[in-house]
Amino acid sequence: MVSTLKTLIRELTKLTIMAKEIKIPEISEGVDTATVAEILVSEGDQIEKDQAVLSVETDKATAEVPASAGGTIKETKVSEGQEVKVGDVVIILDGEDNDDSEDSEDKKESRDKNQEAQSDKEEDNDHPKKEKAKKDAKEKSAEKEDDTENKKDTANQDSSSKEVYASPGVRRLARELDIKLENVHGSGESGRITENDLREHQEGNSDQSFSKLEQLPDFSKWGATERKKLNSIKKATAKNVTASWQTIPHVFQFAEADISNIEDYIEKHQDEIKEAGGKLTVTGILTRIVALALNQFPKFNASIDMENDEMILKKYVNINIAVATDKGLLVPVIKDADQKSMKDLSLEISEIAKKAREQELSKEEMEGGNFSISNLGGIGGTNFTPIIYHPQVAILGISQATTKAVHIEGEFQARSILPLSLSYDHRLIDGADGAEFINWIVKALEDPYEALLH
Amino acid sequence: MTETKTKELVIIGGGPGGYAAAFRAADLGLQVTLIDPEVNPGGVCLYRGCIPSKALLHVAKTKEEAQKAAAWGLEFDPPKIDLVKTAKWKDGVVKKLIEGLGQLTKARDINYIQGKAKFTGGKELEVTQKDKKTKTITFKNAIIATGSSVKTLPRIDVDHDKVWDSTDALSLKKVPRKMLVIGGGYIGLELGSVFAALESKVSVAEMTAGFLPNTDRDLVKVFENNHPFEKLYLNTKVEKLKINKSDVSVTLKGKDEEQTKKFDVVLVAVGRKPNTQNLGLGNVGISSNENGFIDVNPQRKTPNDHIYAIGDITGGPMLAHKASHEGRVAAEAIAGKKGAGYDPKAIPAIVFTNPELAWCGLSEKEAKEKNKAIKVAKFPWSASGRALAIGENSGFTKLIIDSKTETILGGSAAGKGAGSLIPEIALAIEMGSTASDISLTIHPHPTLSETIMESAEHILGGATHLSKQL
Repeated sequence: MVSTLKTLIRELTKLTIMAKEIKIPEISEGVDTATVAEILVSEGDQIEKDQAVLSVETDKATAEVPASAGGTIKETKVSEGQEVKVGDVVIILDGEDNDDSEDSEDKKESRDKNQEAQSDKEEDNDHPKKEKAKKDAKEKSAEKEDDTENKKDTANQDSSSKEVYASPGVRRLARELDIKLENVHGSGESGRITENDLREHQEGNSDQSFSKLEQLPDFSKWGATERKKLNSIKKATAKNVTASWQTIPHVFQFAEADISNIEDYIEKHQDEIKEAGGKLTVTGILTRIVALALNQFPKFNASIDMENDEMILKKYVNINIAVATDKGLLVPVIKDADQKSMKDLSLEISEIAKKAREQELSKEEMEGGNFSISNLGGIGGTNFTPIIYHPQVAILGISQATTKAVHIEGEFQARSILPLSLSYDHRLIDGADGAEFINWIVKALEDPYEALLH
Repeated sequence: MTETKTKELVIIGGGPGGYAAAFRAADLGLQVTLIDPEVNPGGVCLYRGCIPSKALLHVAKTKEEAQKAAAWGLEFDPPKIDLVKTAKWKDGVVKKLIEGLGQLTKARDINYIQGKAKFTGGKELEVTQKDKKTKTITFKNAIIATGSSVKTLPRIDVDHDKVWDSTDALSLKKVPRKMLVIGGGYIGLELGSVFAALESKVSVAEMTAGFLPNTDRDLVKVFENNHPFEKLYLNTKVEKLKINKSDVSVTLKGKDEEQTKKFDVVLVAVGRKPNTQNLGLGNVGISSNENGFIDVNPQRKTPNDHIYAIGDITGGPMLAHKASHEGRVAAEAIAGKKGAGYDPKAIPAIVFTNPELAWCGLSEKEAKEKNKAIKVAKFPWSASGRALAIGENSGFTKLIIDSKTETILGGSAAGKGAGSLIPEIALAIEMGSTASDISLTIHPHPTLSETIMESAEHILGGATHLSKQL
């Protein structure tokens, strides 16, 4: 916070800074925002090109930002926990200062006043002053970046990188709203950007759609509170499950499977798998069984395309495994699960779960799943209703196995009973399909030979 | 003498850029001071450029039309030209306009100073008034809008008697019997056309292989097929110029041969250069580049935060309408309008010869240079009812679209009134319109504007008045 205040003071006394800037690079495809997890350098540090200066966290992984140039760090323009966009200037390296004469202090002042007025409007007044200072500093850095970019524009006015179609009025509005047209989705023919597109882009950016829904009371009326930023994984999960829940008509089907035999099986083969570096688990066995079930019931290995009134049947079986990490929920994918042996699956699941916990998953390792499995059995609970991972159409929830007295051939026997829950998309899957699918899984768990008959 | 009160905005130069900036700034509530050497705003455009030349070209065109009318069954006696009266009429047009601008300046409470300004440092200007008295003005913000002046050639002295610049030609003092225009650019062609209509025998010497270098060759060809000139010297350099007692000897060096010809008057029309000298730019931290232009950002701000520059001095086409647009942008930026920015996708250009040549946006040549995939439609005016009904059949309209998105990227037209077709194409380009948008807009019949619609139809596969194979 002190450094951001310093930054602000410096901003106010200086006009033009001709210095090298380090910007947030393209982190991975399709990711344009990240949260600053840690600042690895401090002002005055001598750094070299490609040295890591920040670590940032996206909804997928943690990445380090390398310095695009070497030099002495003059300013860090971000603080830990701050959200940054690709292209944002995060660090300024020493260059030549070009202190101008008096500058129009009044113009600058009026600009600051404008900003204050603006931030007052946006924020509630009880926000601490420091917050505001930080915000101003942030806005200023944005302004400066604009300027340097503008200059670049004049230099090569003709080399149009990406064609953007928008009317002159819309282009002016974009400048007024500080929106880069390159980032706006155009709804018109050939991607033409309308005024409406700009407004929608702006609303999307400020998450107004959320705040409208969630008018929160002032909790501090009833006691002490603390506000913490959601990390990027949490934010992504929140967005995805909200969308899934709003789009998909969920149906929940429950079943119980007697896995006493499976437990024997696990005991018998555990050493072999452990030797290879993995672990034989109920999740692994269920992944294998679900893979076979998906071959039997292709609708569960599909997606629904409402725009074209079609279902998309996938000829490959990729299964997501939900992994709880201390940052939040991640769902890596086991590709071609139906082609892999029990042993291979067990090894792969162990490995990918470890990667997930260590935030080392690549984009490819999280994409392309058709069906998900979420196992809370290690923790407890009798049943739960998992939310389908859109655009998939079903998810299998596994709860904790308990010993129950089961009436078998005239007598009660102590058996290990595993509760299963299946959530499915009723637009594509009917109740009978759902019951058959879960029955098949139960049967495969209890008596694999029987299941193989069908 | 130093004026004690700091001016909020001082604009140097009262041409179409400067006065547009002044008026916009005043309308936005700024206190504006406008400095120009002339008694009223208007600049070269009104005093010695666009307006007087258009008045004379109108005379020329009317005469040509009258001669052509014989073929339509309307015969006139050979026209008599009263040079004094024509000059008077032209001057009247100019006077009316500049006086109008003077009134608009007063009505907006703009402080108009007749004089020349020079930066002396910091935020100070020294103004030399018409009476040679100087005074110092301090400003908060300034806009430089000093425009351009005629380019001269080494070894060629313009004596304003037998060797003219464009200003001499527009003053219409005399009609030489034999005239040579040096330069086949738009100024040379327009003024050459005027004097050809006034019955001079006009020849044109051009250094390159044709008129209007850098202009679409299809357009130029329409003019080349209809030009009013006596003789063309292409790929020709003017080696020597000797002013004799009653004429001028000009040594013309072509590709293979060198020849000396005599003309009564030589008009030098080899382009214009930015007026960035003697402004004291160095005193305020601004430098002009090797071509004399000042670098500005999209708000038209120079490297000095309080000084903006617009018009001919900022590079790009030296056109009044571009300067006016920049002037409004700079004024809005100074008034604190965040949306102010210069980002045109198309700057229309018109050569007011007969036939007219006009274009805007991307040309085929530029598309090729940028490796851009385009589709081009060329609609011949011989297929336009209106064109034939006004005795015009050599023109055409051309549209250039992005072959993927089908958005309009450029367009051009050649023929009578071609210039009037360009604004629609410019609007289409600025709006990001597609060929479909144009073809689906009902165009009035019978007008030349239909040729734009039919060009769009043609690109999309089938114009009403063209067979598909064309």
